[in-house]
Amino acid sequence: MNNLDLGIDIGGTFTDIMLMDLEGGERLKHKVLTTPRQPDLAVVEGVRELLARTGVDPHRIRRVIHGTTLVTNAIIERRGARTALVTSAGFRDILEIAREFRYDIYDLNQELPTPLVPRYLRREVKERVAPGGRVISPLDETAVRTVARELAAEGVEATAVCLLHSFERPEHEARLRDVLEEELPGHTVALSSEVVPELGEYERMSTTVANAYVQGLVRSYLGRLAASLKEMGIPGRLFLMLSDGGICTVDTASRFPIRLIESGPAGGAMAATWIGDAAQRQDIVAFDMGGTTAKTCIVAKGTPLIAKRFEAARVYRFKRGSGLPLKIPVIDMVEIGAGGGSIARVDDMGVLRVGPQSSSSEPGPACYGRGGEDPTVTDADLLLGYLDPAYFLGGEMALDVEAARRAISEKIAKPLGLDVIHAAWGIHETVNESMASSASVHALERGESLAHYAMVAFGGAGPVHAYQVARKLKVAEIICPPAAGVLSAFGLLAAPVSFQFSRSRPVPLPGADAVEIGAIFDHMEEEGRALLAEAGVALDAVTFARTCAVRYVGQGYDVEVPVRPGKVDEETMRLLRASFEQRYLELYGRTVSEAAVLAVTWRVTASGPAPAAVQHGVVQVADTARLFAQREIYVPEEDGMRMCPVYRREDLLPGATFNGPAVVEEKESTIILSGEGRATVDGDGNVVVRLVGGGAV
Amino acid sequence: MSQTQIDPIRLGVLWQRTVFLMDEVAQTLIQTSFSSVIRENFDFACVLFDAKGRLMAQSSVSIPAFCGTVQKTLRYLLADFPSETLSPGDVLLTNDPDAGTGHLNDLTFAMPIFRGGDIVGYAANVAHQTDIGGAVSPLAREIFEEGLQIPPVKILADWHDNRDVFAFLRRNVRDPAGTLGDVRAQIAALDTQRRKTLALLDEQGLDSLDDLADQIIERSAEAMRRKIRELLPDGVYDAEAFTDGFEDPLRLKLRITVKDGEVICDYTGSSPQIDKPVNCVLNYTRAYTAYAFKCLLDPELPNNDGSFDPIKVIAPEGSIVNPRPPAAVWSRHITGTYLPSVVFGALSGVLPDRVIADCGSPSWGAYFQAKTERGSRLFLYFMAGGHGGRPGLDGPSCLSFPTNVQNTSVEETENALPVLVCEKELLPDTGGPGHQRGGLGQRVTFEVQQEGVSVAFRHERVRFAPRGFLGGMDGARGANLLNGEPVPAKSRLNLRRGDRLTFLTPGGGGMGDPTERSRADLAQDVRNGYVDQDSAAKYYGYHGEEQGR
Repeated sequence: MNNLDLGIDIGGTFTDIMLMDLEGGERLKHKVLTTPRQPDLAVVEGVRELLARTGVDPHRIRRVIHGTTLVTNAIIERRGARTALVTSAGFRDILEIAREFRYDIYDLNQELPTPLVPRYLRREVKERVAPGGRVISPLDETAVRTVARELAAEGVEATAVCLLHSFERPEHEARLRDVLEEELPGHTVALSSEVVPELGEYERMSTTVANAYVQGLVRSYLGRLAASLKEMGIPGRLFLMLSDGGICTVDTASRFPIRLIESGPAGGAMAATWIGDAAQRQDIVAFDMGGTTAKTCIVAKGTPLIAKRFEAARVYRFKRGSGLPLKIPVIDMVEIGAGGGSIARVDDMGVLRVGPQSSSSEPGPACYGRGGEDPTVTDADLLLGYLDPAYFLGGEMALDVEAARRAISEKIAKPLGLDVIHAAWGIHETVNESMASSASVHALERGESLAHYAMVAFGGAGPVHAYQVARKLKVAEIICPPAAGVLSAFGLLAAPVSFQFSRSRPVPLPGADAVEIGAIFDHMEEEGRALLAEAGVALDAVTFARTCAVRYVGQGYDVEVPVRPGKVDEETMRLLRASFEQRYLELYGRTVSEAAVLAVTWRVTASGPAPAAVQHGVVQVADTARLFAQREIYVPEEDGMRMCPVYRREDLLPGATFNGPAVVEEKESTIILSGEGRATVDGDGNVVVRLVGGGAV
Repeated sequence: MSQTQIDPIRLGVLWQRTVFLMDEVAQTLIQTSFSSVIRENFDFACVLFDAKGRLMAQSSVSIPAFCGTVQKTLRYLLADFPSETLSPGDVLLTNDPDAGTGHLNDLTFAMPIFRGGDIVGYAANVAHQTDIGGAVSPLAREIFEEGLQIPPVKILADWHDNRDVFAFLRRNVRDPAGTLGDVRAQIAALDTQRRKTLALLDEQGLDSLDDLADQIIERSAEAMRRKIRELLPDGVYDAEAFTDGFEDPLRLKLRITVKDGEVICDYTGSSPQIDKPVNCVLNYTRAYTAYAFKCLLDPELPNNDGSFDPIKVIAPEGSIVNPRPPAAVWSRHITGTYLPSVVFGALSGVLPDRVIADCGSPSWGAYFQAKTERGSRLFLYFMAGGHGGRPGLDGPSCLSFPTNVQNTSVEETENALPVLVCEKELLPDTGGPGHQRGGLGQRVTFEVQQEGVSVAFRHERVRFAPRGFLGGMDGARGANLLNGEPVPAKSRLNLRRGDRLTFLTPGGGGMGDPTERSRADLAQDVRNGYVDQDSAAKYYGYHGEEQGR
């Protein structure tokens, strides 16, 4: 009997639970409603139900991996601790002054994010460190004690400490914590030199504050959850999904809870990576379209692209710059306001627009029959025959075709002088255009071209729109995995134990002291080894990936380049400069021989082994697909409705093939091939669609 | 209208596609340019013209300086190099301030897009070059002191470099690698744009851009006219404002005439041009005037020839807002970025729920120069004033407006320059009192750590405070101090080791009657030290916590 891994993904509506046998590939899943106030309640209930239903012995569960939206929600809803900030004298307002930049130059009424610590809880202490770590004035400990007493009187529960240049000399911050803890027993203290020891005081301060703000909440939540799992007789350790696709222990998560902010979405990206890997695809564009948004993420050479920065709690969800900046490693995803619920309208210019406004789930699209009158993407998909009104969510919810027709006819077709089918096609086409555009600009920003990529499509609306979006992106292959609804929980099980460490130490190249840099790496790797050992990873299974953020002097942009493993010497530094120039050339087409080069931030990611994807390869169980029904769908090449075969996912056995145009229905979504293409079912149950005339593979 | 050609769905997709295409081109320019002004502050625009030279799409990341300006530059270039004389692979260039965006640093490049033997459109871009030679002086008297002037030239002919033009460029700038590198980046972006435009035409089976341009331009102009009719009653609206100027203040006088969906903005009565580099060419005057209307009427309106067609801007020749050559123009933003607030002032009576009070702008910036082993290093440190109060919302503290410049972190600054930043903090009580309070300015103090450092700046709102609107009161004026003593707002100073240089940026003006401000907001203002107790009593009639709770 094999050991099992348990994945728990808490989303806004549902908590998904998945039990999986990594060796045998057996998967058991369960879904319960999320309990937003105390999310562990739903987890406990769901796990109990799943165990009871399947009769699985809880002792077989060797690991529990959890993805959570607790951190992101606490910041959005401002439910964190009453938090204070202590800075070097003269700089407490950095948190509010921010970057002095407007995120929209035409919107006079833009709101800026409110800092998590109000000005009256921001205190200063006399101390000062210069670049390079030289102490200009020592820490005034008497002042710290006074501040501590004032904060106690204000009823503060947590304090973030961010002193200038502390990443070069952490001693003042460390001493500050000692004094605060002496004065305020049990108080939560987060130090910028531990949370993000990197150059740039505003982003470091903002990240440290957010960490302190959610620390208490996360610690007590994880404590409760771990206890409940034990009570159920589950011996396996609890791990948490990090924003960058690694997992960590409860202890690490409690120290750096801000790293969990994208814990939920990271699961989806890891699942897409895993599915791609199993299908022997290393370059993947993950396309997740749900009710209100569409997310895309690029997986290059088997690894999701990682961004160094994230924005929490944006004032406007889709406006870059409108959130609180966090300097943490996070899977790089672009999200736009395009989903099944996105509202279509005719704008001032007489042109059709779709989103970012959404009808959400209440009242929802017109076809939900809950009083929604605005035409949405789902209404359009229904009229085009892409959704079956009797089989939405597996038939749990009947859709009202007439209501959809009315909404589209009144608000789109009539004003534009079109018939209702062409208006519906316009909505489908317009939203696809937006999603394809955002994906390709994202790829361009990251120096990637999507032409040889495969798309993994999921989310309720993903497979409905994937075919046309893939054509716009010139992607040649679409992979539609089964059970798209619990994909994130599945992704949790695919992640390795890992953690990224960083430290800024700006040094010129050439001219850096290799011994000093070597010591920085040694220190971070030692921390990594300890952290992973504590998580149960065998010492010889730990791998380290070193990188450095390098720039030309005078530029604000860093380029992340690898640093070779082993002893750091002059050759390491010479190679670092060479790889910087190489990467710069790849990204920007040239190098700047006259400019001096500065290495700024040194990073190490310590990882344990990743669970291997089970590759079923080509399995031939059936060669033809069993037809379930036929229905009319809109086929743009023929500019009209056409009778097409409809298949049921559960009828499609590995090896089955069929040609587009066609429809595949399953409970959670519908795969639409609204044109030519050849679909095959692979050994994992994925429907793999090869597009005719797509990009080079 | 040639609506028969393109159905509305296709139009929507094609329109979206052209703007997206320009955003892709802009991304290419951002990634290949070396200047941080381009990469971080987006001081550039990429534009697409149809065969008739009408601007039909513009990249979305851009600053207001390029609202509706490149059309004039293209006309200027084509006047010297008529379209029938152009061949594939020709690239035209100028930095004429009058035809462009008002100073020599902005280089405009344009390339015809040929398909078969015909020109189907033009690719163009304009971007700010940090170094174009010249004295970089806040006291230049004529344009000849301000750097290299480039008349219309063909910098590439038939894909080949015009070596003479490159040689002139190289000889006239301090940092040829940087400037020529960015020139190459701009040219490369044009070629990217040309290829993508042709691919779009092929993919969509279009013979030309003209039908699409007709639709985009006509619909945008019609939308702007509709907005004007809807929001601005016909009539005449006057405003006047003063900038600090030099010995004397400068007057900005504006009369807006609204008639049936059209607006005429007439700056007659504004000060004559002066022999200092703050003269603002008409094209730049037009950009910041049009920008104000876009913000007020519909921030979502696209940037193209149609949108700004209903807005005419006129100004007497020889005035500060339409100078004659050889006026000095380097710091034209000192005049031009005042213009949105002049427009807001004129329309505050009819659009009280849309205008904002004066901001603590034009933007403040210190140009440090320090001697290093590698020669001398130039370092810009920007610091914003408070934003004006807004209808329903306070003005944020320290926010760039109307241009958009990020600050540099204190830690970065101290790593790059031999200075210590002693403080960077909000200045209490500098926001103009109002129902919606103006944002606070900031105090930034630098302590010089070694000899050989100098600084130049050209700050405004030291003589005249940012004005409050509709009953709101003025924000605080700014100040510049050396070792605690005031120095002129337009200065160039040689500093000694240990000198302390302090800037106090202006606060934003207030919006609406301060006595109507919510007591809960005032309690927070006092508690957070944004407003001190005495000012709360004096301007807001607020006497303490008991009322606020």
